[in-house]
Amino acid sequence: MDEFATILPVIFPIIAGVALLPVKFNSRKQREIWVFSITILNTIFALYAIYFADGDVVTLIRFSEKLSLTMHIDGLSKVFGTMVSILWVITTVYAFEYMTHEGREDQFFAFFTMTYGVVLGVAFSGNFLTMYLFYEFLTLATLPLVMHAMDNKARHAGKTYIFYMMFGAALAFIGFVFLYCYGDGLEFTYGGVLIPEMIQGNEQTLQIVFLAAFFGFGVKASILPFYRWLPKASVAPTPVTALLHAVAVVKSGIFAIVRLIYFSFGTDYLIGSWAQNVILIATAITIVFGSTLALRMPHIKRRFAYSTISNLSYIVFGAALMTPAGLTAGLLHMIYHAVIKITLFFTAGAILYKTHREYLYEIEGFGRLMPITFLSMALTGISLVGVPPFAGFHSKWALATAAVQSENPMAYFGIVALIISEVLTALYILYVLVRAYFPRKREYPAGYYDHVSDPNAYMTVPLIMLTIITVLIGLFPSNLLSVLEKVATGII
Amino acid sequence: MHQNILLPLLVFFPMVAAILGYAVGRKNKEARNNWACFTTFLVMGGTLLLIGKHARYSLPEFCGLGLSFEGDGLRVVLAVLTSSIWFITTVFTKEYFAHYHNRNRYYFFMLMTLGATLGIFLSADLYTTFIFFEMMSFTSFVLVIHQESDEVIRAAQTYLGIAIIGGLVTLMGLFMMYHMAGTLNIEALAKFMATQEDKSKFYIVGGLILFGFAAKAGLFPLHTWLPEAYPAAPTPATTLLSCILSKAGIFGVLVLSCKIFLFDAGWGNFILILGVITMVTGAILAVFSVNLKRTLACSSMSQIGFVTIAIGMQGLLGSHNALAAGGTILHIVNHSLLKLVLFLSAGVIYLNLGKLNLNEIRGWGKDKPLLKFIFLMGVLGITGIPFWNGYISKTLIHESIVEYIELLHEAGQSTIYMQSVEWIFLFSGGLTLAYMTKIFVAIFVETNPYANTCYPSRKGDYISKVSAVILTLCAVALPIVGIFPYLTADKIADASYHFMGAHAPEHAVQYFAWVNVKGAVVSIAIGGLVYLLFIRKVLMERDHNGNLVYIDRWPKGLNLEDRIYRPVLLIILPFIGAFFARIAGSLTDGFVSILRMAIFNDDSGRVVPPEDRYFSAYTDEETDKIVYGEGFAKSLLMIGVGLAVAMLYILF
Repeated sequence: MDEFATILPVIFPIIAGVALLPVKFNSRKQREIWVFSITILNTIFALYAIYFADGDVVTLIRFSEKLSLTMHIDGLSKVFGTMVSILWVITTVYAFEYMTHEGREDQFFAFFTMTYGVVLGVAFSGNFLTMYLFYEFLTLATLPLVMHAMDNKARHAGKTYIFYMMFGAALAFIGFVFLYCYGDGLEFTYGGVLIPEMIQGNEQTLQIVFLAAFFGFGVKASILPFYRWLPKASVAPTPVTALLHAVAVVKSGIFAIVRLIYFSFGTDYLIGSWAQNVILIATAITIVFGSTLALRMPHIKRRFAYSTISNLSYIVFGAALMTPAGLTAGLLHMIYHAVIKITLFFTAGAILYKTHREYLYEIEGFGRLMPITFLSMALTGISLVGVPPFAGFHSKWALATAAVQSENPMAYFGIVALIISEVLTALYILYVLVRAYFPRKREYPAGYYDHVSDPNAYMTVPLIMLTIITVLIGLFPSNLLSVLEKVATGII
Repeated sequence: MHQNILLPLLVFFPMVAAILGYAVGRKNKEARNNWACFTTFLVMGGTLLLIGKHARYSLPEFCGLGLSFEGDGLRVVLAVLTSSIWFITTVFTKEYFAHYHNRNRYYFFMLMTLGATLGIFLSADLYTTFIFFEMMSFTSFVLVIHQESDEVIRAAQTYLGIAIIGGLVTLMGLFMMYHMAGTLNIEALAKFMATQEDKSKFYIVGGLILFGFAAKAGLFPLHTWLPEAYPAAPTPATTLLSCILSKAGIFGVLVLSCKIFLFDAGWGNFILILGVITMVTGAILAVFSVNLKRTLACSSMSQIGFVTIAIGMQGLLGSHNALAAGGTILHIVNHSLLKLVLFLSAGVIYLNLGKLNLNEIRGWGKDKPLLKFIFLMGVLGITGIPFWNGYISKTLIHESIVEYIELLHEAGQSTIYMQSVEWIFLFSGGLTLAYMTKIFVAIFVETNPYANTCYPSRKGDYISKVSAVILTLCAVALPIVGIFPYLTADKIADASYHFMGAHAPEHAVQYFAWVNVKGAVVSIAIGGLVYLLFIRKVLMERDHNGNLVYIDRWPKGLNLEDRIYRPVLLIILPFIGAFFARIAGSLTDGFVSILRMAIFNDDSGRVVPPEDRYFSAYTDEETDKIVYGEGFAKSLLMIGVGLAVAMLYILF
């Protein structure tokens, strides 16, 4: 029974999504009921599997002694799975309303539902092969979502997206092969699977392979120099940008990196190596890079996309410290960033949906006309900046503390990057808020303020919920932290 | 440990009240105003209850590291000062804001700021201090930007920018401190630092922490926001900024100097230099200013410089710091009271005229004896005339300098440095007199040659009864403190000594002995000379009608913000950043194009990359032609085949 419970949340939405593909719904209402029941059912399945199933390894297919497809829910899966399954429901509700102006909703929701299963598949994978499989599926399942508009821009974005993803997967594949050869099975084990005798004499090779795999998965986490796809993919409909490119897809990349570092290669082998220094520097550069370019973007969604690039590297930086404290901080920031960024994208989407404005200079003075939208943006934006006592502050504090504790000289480099990025974050977020709340006194073109008002409950309720979640996890981070600490030390 | 629930209540109640007030304000404006007054009144009562107690409260795990509050000596003095000035200002706000829009927002953020400020003053660890300090920066930003004209927005953005950068630098310092000491609790830090023999390695950390607090206090060279933002804010907000929020910065400086670097001469000297520069710069700016609120703003900066000198002297004097410690706290309190009176009077003037330029408001107060009296009390207080309160604290600070010179003398060291500090101190005191005389004479003594064109006729009283009573009471309090220092000022000082690591002096200070009055007399003489010879001769000029008018002779180019900060922060650094970011960003694309050139080179060296025109396996044209050969789909297919082959190889 428990085996079935583990597999169900992965299989169910994939099957349901495929089944939805040929269906033509008569009315919007009908589709909403179906899609929503599938989503909510699957969230219940997922949460049941995470918290009540007994967490054994479930073998789906066994190819050979070392190669098999297995599912296994451990601590890390729980964190990622819970985050995804809660946010998915909220996003689905938001998407119902938002997608009315994008068209072709049948197709959209079919793939959207499918992706849900695939992401949970990544989360629940028990070994490297399974994760790699779902990881590839994820690219394919989300491609139609990225290209949804099917105009030239969207197709170009889709093409870039898949090129980058394929390239990354190919690099990751190298890692897979070497782990297969040098490791004691591919099952994720806290502390790594490499066999010490096999490492001897091959340290350098394995570090290069590790780097290849890291940057391979790093493509989804958009680490420099493989970030290009993310800003381009912001042409996708907002729910996709919000959920996939701020939460599911990019965080699958991070999830895979954590699996790679902590559960495959193992920190004992990697810590202090030059490979670690390389990734610390790469993430530090990405942190500053993303924030700098975010500040230069007048396009709101693209601004948030660059901000995502920066913030993803915060998380990877934490993980790359290769200490439990670093991983804890990284995971904390992962959760914070997921909730915050999804809200920010939703607010950008709400503006786009109501007014078709995409640029900063087009939204001056909207703050008072769209109170709920901009209040959400203000609160979550300030959280992202890390103004105490809001959410982002704790994770950044934890990151910096972990960096100092790790006593790695490169980590200090990262702290400097964190501080610079802090200033830039404050600037690029507050700039939007100041423009929206305190418009410059000037002549605005006729019709500037037409149709500017909050969207309906389908969009505002998710916004309010997410904002409340953001504020609460910011004020009471202790429980969350203690859970994450256990995950990071391999206890659960 | 006994938990005193009053402390968190004082901090969080105004915040809750702010939300309630906002809700009420949407329905009923009058009720909201009264609610705000009532809230501040309650908070004032609450802080008064703290007097004489040593209260603690900690909220472990809230906001990560947990919050902890403490209410003792100096903290209670500051809290009482905050809440009472807040109450008075709120009452005054009601009248002042009668015709403003967005009042609901103002009241909301005003009460939020009250909570945050009390959070700072009552904090027991620097983490708590920092959390509330950041909150205060953000909430007070909304107060500053309230009027939303273009200049105000610019000033407020500068305010926010410096607050953010300052906050982050402080955070960095706190973080390093936490790493070195393992705690941020102020008492624990003091104990930790007492065990350190060489404190100089903490100077960088201390400097970083100081940055944010110094920015808020308006210390040189982070003062640039101050002369812009103070006049830009609505007067009640300016009053709060000057009386209370700047003291929040000073509180940070105090914690650093009296807890972390207690009796450290090097640090004390550093603070002293900052203080001296701030004091002189502020005073000179004030002398040149022709705008009432700007003059008062620069004066605030200068007075904060006086306080900072006192703090610096504490470090230099070591365990003999009682005079300096007393001077510090008394000048904080006195300055708040004085600026309350002065800014609120300025508010009355602005409320009636809507103008602040000295030439335009000239002579308006000539026939208004009550306002003239109130303002005069403020002027006499701030210039340090004997029998007014400013004299007491300035005397203490001056005495501490003199005492240090004597100590140096006994030790046989050179006293030139400290003597010059003393002379700059007296000179700045003189400048204070000069600029205060300038505005007082302009508004209340001179006649305006263009009065008919300037003053709109206004029916009724120029000030409401409530405001008049409050202002008069505040004004009368000033000489009372000055005449009976042993009953009032010394009590405040006694309460605060403990925090600053000082012991009450063995002999009560003879405030009115000739030795002490001498300093004031020197200052007054300098001030008189500056006023008569410089302000009347150089800063005033006859216009085309032959009337003497005030001229703004401050060189336009001499502005740190426009010359250095804005260009560096807004043009040079972003350019460098973006330049490198673009290079880093084009790495992959550049790599790809090099690859294309290498791979698709034909025999004659031309680069002919094949076009992948088709995304899918089918063309878009009318015929559904299959174009595997040249499409993107083929590439994907090939990748898939490659992966499959590799898999098969591994398996078998």
